[in-house]
Amino acid sequence: MSLRDRLYEQSKNTRTLLLGLAGLLFVFTAIFYLLQRDREMPAYLVTNRVLLFVLWYVNIVLILAIVFVLMRDLFKLFLERRHRILGSKLKTKLVATYIGLSLFPVLTLFVIATELLQGSIDRWFATPVRPVLEQGNAVAQALFDQIQSSCASAARRTLADLGRVDLSRESERERLGGRLRALLAENDLDFLAVYEGTDFVQGVVDSRSGISDLPEPGRDLLGEAVTEGRAVRTVEPPGWRGRLVLAAVSGAAAGEAEAGDGGTTGGAKLDPLAADPAEPKPRIVVAGTLLDPVLAERTERLIEAFQTYRQLEVQKEDLRASHLLIFLMVTLLILLASTWTGLFLARRVTVPILALAEGTRRISSGDLDHRVEAPADDELGVLVASFNRMTEELQRSNRALQTTNERLAEERALLAAVLENVAAGIVSIDGSGRIFTCNGAALHMLQQREEEVVGRAPAEAWSDPERSKLAALLADLPEAPEADAGRRGRRAAREVQMVIGGDWKTFEVKVTPIRDAAGSRGRVLVLEDLTELIQAQQLAAWNEAARRIAHEIKNPLTPIRLGAERLLEKHRRGDPALGPAIEEAADIIVREVENLQEMVDEFSRYARMPRPRPTRLDLTRLIKETCHLYRDVKVGVPVVFASGSTDDLSAVDLPTVWIDGEQIRRALINLIDNGVEATDPPGTVTVSVDRGEDTLAIHVADTGRGIPPESKEKLFLPYFSTKGRGTGMGLAIVHRIVTDHHGALRVEDNRPAGTVFTIELPLG
Amino acid sequence: MRSRSALFCALLFLSPGLLGLAAHAQGRIKGLRATVEGDQVQVSLRLEGGIDRRMLDRIDSGLPTRIVYEMELARDRKRWYDQGIKRTTLEVTAVYDAVARETNLHYRLAGELIESRTVRDRPALLDALRKIEHVPVFRTQGLTPGVRYLVIARALLGSRMVFSIIPTDTRTEWVESNKFRPPAVP
Repeated sequence: MSLRDRLYEQSKNTRTLLLGLAGLLFVFTAIFYLLQRDREMPAYLVTNRVLLFVLWYVNIVLILAIVFVLMRDLFKLFLERRHRILGSKLKTKLVATYIGLSLFPVLTLFVIATELLQGSIDRWFATPVRPVLEQGNAVAQALFDQIQSSCASAARRTLADLGRVDLSRESERERLGGRLRALLAENDLDFLAVYEGTDFVQGVVDSRSGISDLPEPGRDLLGEAVTEGRAVRTVEPPGWRGRLVLAAVSGAAAGEAEAGDGGTTGGAKLDPLAADPAEPKPRIVVAGTLLDPVLAERTERLIEAFQTYRQLEVQKEDLRASHLLIFLMVTLLILLASTWTGLFLARRVTVPILALAEGTRRISSGDLDHRVEAPADDELGVLVASFNRMTEELQRSNRALQTTNERLAEERALLAAVLENVAAGIVSIDGSGRIFTCNGAALHMLQQREEEVVGRAPAEAWSDPERSKLAALLADLPEAPEADAGRRGRRAAREVQMVIGGDWKTFEVKVTPIRDAAGSRGRVLVLEDLTELIQAQQLAAWNEAARRIAHEIKNPLTPIRLGAERLLEKHRRGDPALGPAIEEAADIIVREVENLQEMVDEFSRYARMPRPRPTRLDLTRLIKETCHLYRDVKVGVPVVFASGSTDDLSAVDLPTVWIDGEQIRRALINLIDNGVEATDPPGTVTVSVDRGEDTLAIHVADTGRGIPPESKEKLFLPYFSTKGRGTGMGLAIVHRIVTDHHGALRVEDNRPAGTVFTIELPLG
Repeated sequence: MRSRSALFCALLFLSPGLLGLAAHAQGRIKGLRATVEGDQVQVSLRLEGGIDRRMLDRIDSGLPTRIVYEMELARDRKRWYDQGIKRTTLEVTAVYDAVARETNLHYRLAGELIESRTVRDRPALLDALRKIEHVPVFRTQGLTPGVRYLVIARALLGSRMVFSIIPTDTRTEWVESNKFRPPAVP
């Protein structure tokens, strides 16, 4: 899901929530309005059948909606728990909590409020209102009855009084008005009228009553009077307030007649006033009494109040139902809203958590491309964002690691190729002391197979007496801290002779401590087969030595030969000076033979030079004594001893070393001797010492003429000399002594002039 | 989704019906008679029972109280799809005036007022509520001459509450009239 989709989903959720809340607000407002109007509306509207059914249907819908929402979510939860979907327990707890928090208080409130409502309704009708209203109604009805009865009596008396009057006669009709007024006054009536059938004959009204016009009794009143003999009505007086009670009395009852096929809705009666024209019309007297407006109003109010109470009483159950249904509807709405909101909130909480759990599972299974896409804008949103950032970081690191691994693999392959193709034998030993790699050159030199070497300890791989020298070399390398590794890397190489495959081999062996990535120590052993090189060097050296020896031998032979030839010549010629010539020639021959003898002795000494016998020796003292020998040898060329940067011999702290003192003294003498000889006054020959961690360097520096570069290569060969005199064995002997001490001899140019010879001896 | 909605709707509409089983008729219609007069089908009937103390109290209280007669014109066949060619209601409303001490009765056919009457005693009131005589409820226009028809009717006697909150209508059973054939139009 893209960011846009996520934002859309987010806004959709929020919009849904807002719409839901707005809808609820509207419903509650409508209900509140209806409840307010409920007080103003008549009871029969509140208890209207349609309204009750609508309320009931609304409640049914709400109940079903709640049940549906609850069942759907509970069923989904049940399925999730059954399938052991991650997060279902948390979701169940949240949903149960939300629903419990919603259901319990709402239902409790509903039950209590319902009881209160029912109790209130019962109490309304329990109060002694009905007797009061009933009595008031009875009084009011009795009043009407009394007035009606009085009117009926007056009408009856009037009818009796007029019984002997023949209204068809004009004279009688003229006297009727006065007669009626007298009866009106006599019976205390407000209205009195005579009808013949529906025909109005005459009527009088009390002028003090306020009735402005003659009231119309109505056809039904007259008809009823004819059929029933008596009829009463209470009507509104024309042009006046109050109530007019009319009583009609007929002289002859017409009796009831069944209705014919008139197409009406049952029981319609025959019009009693529509009698046969041939018969005389019935005489009807209508008497009326006007009820005082105030009294009439109060009487009617009493009657209406009782009626209203009876209506309430009749609608008691409907009212109760109506209120209960409205209350139930509000309760259900609240319940639906709270349940839905609870589920919605539970979903909002659990969805990101489930997405995170799923994301964790996917990422742990190696799917680093997975991202959690859960809409959340609170702390869970921060958590989701952090999770995604962590995943991105993890993916980036993983890619970098893969790249590094690939590069390392390439480098390793390249290194392996290099190792396989170098002439030197390279053996690496890991931190656990086992041989980790052994390149082809090393296997070839040692005439072994890889499986005989790799993975084994050196002592195991090289267990035979010859190869065990390598294992001994490795064992000799003392443990050193990491900081010493570099310095130990400068350690001088050692020559090791071994008989491999029946051949005498000479190897230059270098052991260098290393530290691998895990921090554990390891070593690298570099083998260089010097056998052929040494043989070639020896051959060349012997060639050079033979040439030199031949040259040196030839030099004394020439004067000897010349002396002998001169003696022979003198002898042949009988030269008288033969005697002195013999003496002179004999001297030359003896001298040159002595030179030859000296040369042979020197060579013999070089050849017979014994192996060094090292003893613990104070090197400082040895150097000081040697320097002391040359204190006044050459004027203007002092020999001084300095240690490092100081000339103070007392400050020199040289270790006690294991060396052959005589041989080292001889080597130093040779070097100092050469330096003094090569230095013209004013000059200096300086002897100094540098101490390293595992080596000791003795420098002999002069300020003399120096040595040409082309001569440096041959400098340590026997019978090579740049001085034009001497045997040329001095530096060869020095080199031999130093080599026998497992050291090295170097020659360098001194700055600004002269030469520096360095003897480097191993410590320990 | 659609099936879920259908289930929901079915439950919704079945629930009042199921609850309505609690309502029971207390009266019945007798003497339902249908006659053809010209182009009109006139109906007469008589309601027995059904007007109990509760209804009379309601009338006496002055509340408008109705008895609704539901009538259907149907073919004389026993198949459900033949029912209900025409349908109408005759509503009798009684309103008591306590001051005048009279009851006004209004008769409305299909919602249209056809008659008003005033009665002043209880027997007349009961008679007016229970007896329907020759009321033209249907017209024969559109009916097939020669085919037998009948009228079925029942009375709605108001509503009452079950368990204090469930409103239910109180109705009589449907009854059938005599069969009749509309005459051919000349």
